[in-house]
Amino acid sequence: MTDEPEFLDIFRDEANERLDNMVDTLLALESGRAGPEALDSLFRDAHTIKGGAGMLGLDDARSLAHAIEDVLGSVREAGEFPAQLADPLLRATDALRRHVEGESEGTPDLLEELAARRAGVVGDVAAPAEETPEPQASGLVERRAIRVPAHKIDRLLDLVGETVLHRRRLEHALGGERIAGDVGLSGELDSGERLFEELRDAAIQMRTLPISTITGALPRAVRDIAATEGKDVELVVSGEETELDRVILESLSEPLAHLLRNAIGHGIESAQERERAGKPAHGTVELRAEQRGGLVEIVVADDGRGVPKNVLKQAERGGSLADVLARPGFSTADEVTELSGRGVGLDAVKRYVESFGGSFEAYSEPGKGTQIVLVLPLALALLEVLLVERGRQAFGVPLAAVEEAVTAEDSLQLEGTVALELRGRSIPLGDLAELIGGAAPPLGDRAPAIVVSSGGRRIAALCDRLLGQEEVVVKPLGPLLRSVEGYLGGAILGDGRIALLLDPAALTRAKPQARKRATTAAPAAVERRAPKVLVVEDSYTVRALQRSILEAAGYRVETARDGREGLDRVLSDNEIDLVITDLEMPEMDGVELTKAIRARTERPSLPVVVVTSHSGDDDRRRGVEAGADAYIVKRAFDQQALLDIVERLVGR
Amino acid sequence: MNGVHVRLRVGGESYAFAVENVLEVAELGDVAPVPGSDECVLGVSNLHGEVMPVFDLASVFGISREGAAQRLLVVEHDGRHAALAIDEVVDVAELPAPTEETESALLHGAALDHGELVGMVDVASLFRTLAGDDS
Repeated sequence: MTDEPEFLDIFRDEANERLDNMVDTLLALESGRAGPEALDSLFRDAHTIKGGAGMLGLDDARSLAHAIEDVLGSVREAGEFPAQLADPLLRATDALRRHVEGESEGTPDLLEELAARRAGVVGDVAAPAEETPEPQASGLVERRAIRVPAHKIDRLLDLVGETVLHRRRLEHALGGERIAGDVGLSGELDSGERLFEELRDAAIQMRTLPISTITGALPRAVRDIAATEGKDVELVVSGEETELDRVILESLSEPLAHLLRNAIGHGIESAQERERAGKPAHGTVELRAEQRGGLVEIVVADDGRGVPKNVLKQAERGGSLADVLARPGFSTADEVTELSGRGVGLDAVKRYVESFGGSFEAYSEPGKGTQIVLVLPLALALLEVLLVERGRQAFGVPLAAVEEAVTAEDSLQLEGTVALELRGRSIPLGDLAELIGGAAPPLGDRAPAIVVSSGGRRIAALCDRLLGQEEVVVKPLGPLLRSVEGYLGGAILGDGRIALLLDPAALTRAKPQARKRATTAAPAAVERRAPKVLVVEDSYTVRALQRSILEAAGYRVETARDGREGLDRVLSDNEIDLVITDLEMPEMDGVELTKAIRARTERPSLPVVVVTSHSGDDDRRRGVEAGADAYIVKRAFDQQALLDIVERLVGR
Repeated sequence: MNGVHVRLRVGGESYAFAVENVLEVAELGDVAPVPGSDECVLGVSNLHGEVMPVFDLASVFGISREGAAQRLLVVEHDGRHAALAIDEVVDVAELPAPTEETESALLHGAALDHGELVGMVDVASLFRTLAGDDS
């Protein structure tokens, strides 16, 4: 026996892993899906836990593991697993887990029950030998992993974050022109950038864990819940390998369990009701995880009855379905069941998601089912933001929540509040300073507005200017400012200034005040023949952002999703004055597009600007050799640089 | 409560912090206001790459001042940090134990030093107030 806490931690990790495995195997055995090796695997897991617990002097855990092992030994001899054995064994694994975590005392009742079960299996003859020979090498030897305390990894990620800052400061100090003019310097910076990106990715990977670490227990939970409800429900999990920040993951289990309980309790109908509706008797709940850039989308979808029509109507009237469902105390259940006694409780789930700067969305179709979508950041410490300035202060809004940027010329006044008319939609419009409760000097005439969306709500916030897109390190405002709402934290910019990071959920909830100076609609569109720019880019976000920046500066903008589409546009639209293209795209990339414009169109001298996420010399060379007129690195993407280049090339 | 203290002036009054609670004295640089926060919060400041909350000590003590604060006193309690905007640091010296009672819950009391009344700040109580969980 040893009292080294490290060993205890290692043991707990392994025991929990083996217990997860046991639960999966027991569920498989119960439903008859298990392969021939299932019993051996169960036996091995119980045996290994017993050995570890004995070594560490955890007697309760050892006795229980031993009792489980005995039952399994007898079953193995009998050659068949009776399905009714799954339930007591599942309860035993639960109890064993509590023992392992040091959370409970002995369980004499359970030990007795297991002994009785075992007697039932073999008629209490031929007790197996007390010590079974080691079936396989111990898991401690098998695993080639090192345990590192979480705070050390977080420190590493912090330092990586500091390196980002240092990098920005360095670039700021050197100045863009000097970097551009010195090949040796820009080469060194480029290779530093590549190293940094690899380092960052490696550190983020340490910080993240696959979602499978928490979904393992869910099929069991769904089985239990469905059994309580007298329903037949299957859980289909996909994308378990998707990685998510450990901190988010640790607290995700509860909201997920909540969503699953809702789906089973409120969504899935009884077997009879389903059959009447012409659906398969057993319902399906789907849990899907998928990474999208720096965000992870988690979807819980059921094929049940959908939310009641009156709720959908309510959602149409006031904001969004997500808002209506997440209203505290709201419940769609006609009768209050044991599981949902305190309403749907989606408000808690929504708060959870929003506390990480994520968003919460809901969709439902009567008779077809309901879908809840949680969008969470992949890693908490780094955030891709759009930086804007208002009243000489910088603010950052998570790029994921920014739909576009526009000029507020087309605003109209509705019953005292100002709204922005955008492609047929009316979006509340307010001064960013007012929306967050601050003060700033009056806005200029052609102030840009960013359209921010969260949980189905939108708001357009007016600011002095857009500063550009940047990946920032999120620093908490600290425990003393914890009670101040509306911020995800702060970020230190390259020039040492602090940008407050705005919480899109709070921002979109803000009520724009009626403005004293009525914002008049734009003067009848004067066709000034503004230059037309074609943006060719496969990323929706970047496309939308570039369109916004260019439109805000008064250009007309067309977009295309890849080189081939871009080329079609150039061939069919003679008004295009300039092409901005991404380098790496499906179908036809930026280099091929540039070459094609030079070789195959009637306007071989059409200016082409290449924008790419790589700053490598190779890419630059490829772009230049293909005949691009200018080259912008997406990372250092700042709107002024883009506008300067565009202006220079179209000669406005 | 006697021992080495950092004595400072804010709005014409004298206060003192036990030296073990004081991390540093810095220039009051750029402070980004945080809309929606309490009025004693001046904002947040970049202090050695960290986002530090800055409080107006005069406003915390409810005293008026002429002119803007000049310096930052960075104090620590129980692992939490705060920067306090003050007029100036007077000295770092041994101060006598507080002998005079004060009405403020933020003070242990006041000490009489060479004819001057110095408020001895109760850092634990100050942090509770700053965090808004004073009750």
